[in-house]
Amino acid sequence: MTAPFNPMSLAGRRVLVTGASSGIGRAVAQLVAQLDGTVVAAGRDAGRLAATVESLAGAGHEAVAFDLGEIDAIPPFVQKLSAEGGALAGIAHCAGIQIGKPVRVTDQAFMDQMFRINVESGIALARGLRQRGVAVPGASLVLLSSVSALVGQASNVVYCASKGAVLAATKALAVELMRDKIRVNAVLPALVETEMAERFRATMTEAQWQGYAAQYPMGIGRPEDIANAVAFLLSDAARWINGIGLVIDGGVLAG
Amino acid sequence: MQAEAFLREIEATLELPEGSLKPEDTLEDIAEWDSLAVISFIALVDEKLGLAVDGEALANAATVGDLLALVQEKLAA
Repeated sequence: MTAPFNPMSLAGRRVLVTGASSGIGRAVAQLVAQLDGTVVAAGRDAGRLAATVESLAGAGHEAVAFDLGEIDAIPPFVQKLSAEGGALAGIAHCAGIQIGKPVRVTDQAFMDQMFRINVESGIALARGLRQRGVAVPGASLVLLSSVSALVGQASNVVYCASKGAVLAATKALAVELMRDKIRVNAVLPALVETEMAERFRATMTEAQWQGYAAQYPMGIGRPEDIANAVAFLLSDAARWINGIGLVIDGGVLAG
Repeated sequence: MQAEAFLREIEATLELPEGSLKPEDTLEDIAEWDSLAVISFIALVDEKLGLAVDGEALANAATVGDLLALVQEKLAA
């Protein structure tokens, strides 16, 4: 019996997923595996990464503990992954941090940390992916921006700026990496039920949270809502999509 | 961190003169204690003490001393 046609199939594709130990990254890893792709799950916490890999459908997946804060170590890390386990068909860069701080308490160390993890790591991954022999032709890089790139939020200036930078980098990388046959796109989620969001929620009273959640006409998003879009952009179904920022927000920005 | 040192951190966060805050001060009477100050306080506690402030408990804090009580477990005696 032939398998049913699936335009989003990732069969035979090896995909690096960063931030795979929790939240959106874990959901992406799980979906890539369900679509018959092979996952290289990267993150800082070896124990939680192992739990992610254990949850994946199919075989051949691996966990690699790596600190994306070491920017200059990223391109050789990607090269090594490819040399040892085979060329990559894509990277879903889901690692990132969000810390809310009003500008009155924003300093250089805080800005450097946010930009290193949220912006520089993605650019370094692009550098890693375009090295000779690392990516298969038609490979796809998906970066995590945020609706915070489009809508200002009080006490979130550095995060907003970092996610705006991711969106700008996505377009510039898409143009530059066309010659390398690598597509680069970004997704822009609004608030999604993750551990990161749970920490945000815990700092609010129930009434404050209800007020916040009321801005979401279709409710708060789920990690799978973002993973579906990331998997689409990784797949050949998105072959002709390059340099876009796909808003995934349950209609928040529509109104 | 000592409670005194943490008080100095709160003063810096609120852009208040050093030594101006006392535990008995009522938050309502401190003009600088606004919604952004609350978020700054949460970030301060997270960064300096590695503690996540509970939103309900913070909303119930009435005095500077109540703020210190929220993080008491992390303050040196």
